[in-house]
Amino acid sequence: MEQVWIAFAAALAIGLPAIATAWAQSRIGAAGAGTLAEKPELTGAIIILVAIPETMVILGFVVAAMILML
Amino acid sequence: MVKQPGVTMIIRMAKVEIVGPKQDLLNTLDLLHNRGVFQPDPQLLARVELAPDDRLQALVLGENDLRERSFFQNLYERVAALLELLPKAVDRTSSLQPLPVMDILDELVDQHLTTAREQTLLLTDCRKQVEDLQNDLVFWQALEPLLSDLPLDSNLELFGVTIRDAHQLHALEELLQELTQGRCHVSSATTADGSLVGLIATDREIAESMHKVLTDERVPELSLPEELADLPLLQRITALHELLEAEDINCRKIEAQLLKLSRRWQPIYHRALTWLDERLALYRASATAYTTRLCFIVQGWMAHAEVLELRTDLNQAFDGRVVLEQHAILEEDLDQVPVMLRNPGYFAPFEVMSRLLPLPKYSSYDPTPLIGLFFPVFFGMILGDIGYGVILLILSVFLARHFPPQQLLSNLGKVLGVASIYTLIFGFLYGELFGDLGEVWLGLHPLWFDRGKDIMTMTVFALTVGVVHVLLGITLGALADLRRHRPRHALLKLAMLLAVLLLVLALVSWLYPQSWLATGPLLIGVGILMPILIAAEGLLAPLELLKTMGNIISYIRIMAIGFCSVLLAVVANRLGGMTGDIMVGILVAGILHAFNLLLGVFAPTVHSLRLHYVEFFGKFLDLGGRRFEPWQKRSS
Repeated sequence: MEQVWIAFAAALAIGLPAIATAWAQSRIGAAGAGTLAEKPELTGAIIILVAIPETMVILGFVVAAMILML
Repeated sequence: MVKQPGVTMIIRMAKVEIVGPKQDLLNTLDLLHNRGVFQPDPQLLARVELAPDDRLQALVLGENDLRERSFFQNLYERVAALLELLPKAVDRTSSLQPLPVMDILDELVDQHLTTAREQTLLLTDCRKQVEDLQNDLVFWQALEPLLSDLPLDSNLELFGVTIRDAHQLHALEELLQELTQGRCHVSSATTADGSLVGLIATDREIAESMHKVLTDERVPELSLPEELADLPLLQRITALHELLEAEDINCRKIEAQLLKLSRRWQPIYHRALTWLDERLALYRASATAYTTRLCFIVQGWMAHAEVLELRTDLNQAFDGRVVLEQHAILEEDLDQVPVMLRNPGYFAPFEVMSRLLPLPKYSSYDPTPLIGLFFPVFFGMILGDIGYGVILLILSVFLARHFPPQQLLSNLGKVLGVASIYTLIFGFLYGELFGDLGEVWLGLHPLWFDRGKDIMTMTVFALTVGVVHVLLGITLGALADLRRHRPRHALLKLAMLLAVLLLVLALVSWLYPQSWLATGPLLIGVGILMPILIAAEGLLAPLELLKTMGNIISYIRIMAIGFCSVLLAVVANRLGGMTGDIMVGILVAGILHAFNLLLGVFAPTVHSLRLHYVEFFGKFLDLGGRRFEPWQKRSS
């Protein structure tokens, strides 16, 4: 039973930040696409902006990995 | 006076003042224009010190100059309009000196402009006519087979119509049969471009009512030029062909006339336009000059290395009448100093990444060398695989050799080349070759540690890199403050650096207890520093400390993304092995490795850059500099 709870905790640790990241990236991506239509020279900056919320899922992944492996 | 940038790759600039007699102004500007090294800055002149009896004022052009400028501007517009109308004829350039023949050109350009406008108008009409005839022909050609099916009855009236779709055709047929009580025949065909056309045959006596029905039902009849309208339907197609050919010949005649005009005059007008453009640029630049009773003064910026050469040029050209003086760059000038970046050799390709940011201010740092130093290391730390490193190295050599130097893809190839070398180095350190394939097939062992298994070591490694990188950023920020004579800001940054260092050491001593490293005193040290920081920076100081710790934790992505890459590579190998067939296994593993490599290029690039832009540069880089745009000829 303990294994189930560990797996469930790990799934939550990565699942919830993944949803949050996806939501944030969808908003930033939409705004970025609009920006690029007018200023294509900002492509690099937009890619970086889209990558910023990935911190959430990355930290979620780290926590999940630690739950499972440590 | 402030210290000039030294260790950075921001080119050292000089604030210069050029002074000479008023009558030499335009010639001086012409010389500066030709040399292309000087950027005028009229805002600087507000601070010029003059004798009390002399008055500095913006240059007001004399009556003759104004008349001349107006004449050149007017001529420029007409020549530009003419060149717009002329077709491109030859690449020949004229060596004509436009100034002596300017009056003749002034008269000629009007004649040529009138001719070109008339010919262009005729050509437009003619092309429109050809286009309409071609469209008509498409429809009538589609109807031709239908005409041959009809009896040659002189009492028949024929209508050609365009039909929206099959549904409309059906409805129209039913309506016409009902109205004419079966005394009409509707047939249809599809044209070459896919449109639907119909041919309606009916008795001549009900032709008028048929017209009305078609109009009421909004079914467009095929139109014809007026001169063909009275022809019998069967002859119309032949006549259309003849008319089209005649119009085509007419178009070619007009084009030939325009081309003849262009061949003869285009190079001359091009030369005149360039000359006029440069001359008008001189007048525009004169707006940046100020004058006293006898002299003109122009101030601006140029690269420090070019000052001596320009001074010599001015001396020689004006026999010492026009002088160039270099002034000290004052503290209040710093935000105005334009910025020029120059990164030779190894660092030059990395400018493709620093260009994604706004320009740094003159008193700040050029981010390019820092990206050049750290980006490939981070990339290698994340990807770290011998197999992927070799593939990327081959790809980078191809990009760098196949595309001309200085092109984006060539520069990206060079950056990828350096990054792939670090990927190879870390691949050996982690003992990875296409994931665990090296270990399984070749008995490859890590030189340092296996990051796929030793997750804690990799985490500590990533965070240590973060600590070093962020602390370096804070140190550079303190140095920048010192250079700008802001010792208080510099001291605060150093206090912050010390607080972060103590906090990190306290965490280390808590996680890995050492006899020589006690957590308590370290935390007391942070506790002593906090009131100082709060007193100096306000209540935001603790938040800044937390933010900096967050920045350091953000470097954990180096471990996380790298770990994902390893897992994907291992999964690719396992899936390949599960197929039970060597060829299928290689194919499956190859596809998954290719996908992983694609991610392995994209993710480390984006996240390494993000670590630089957000976590590292945020600590010291002062962005928002003005680009150095020397006043120069467009061709140069």
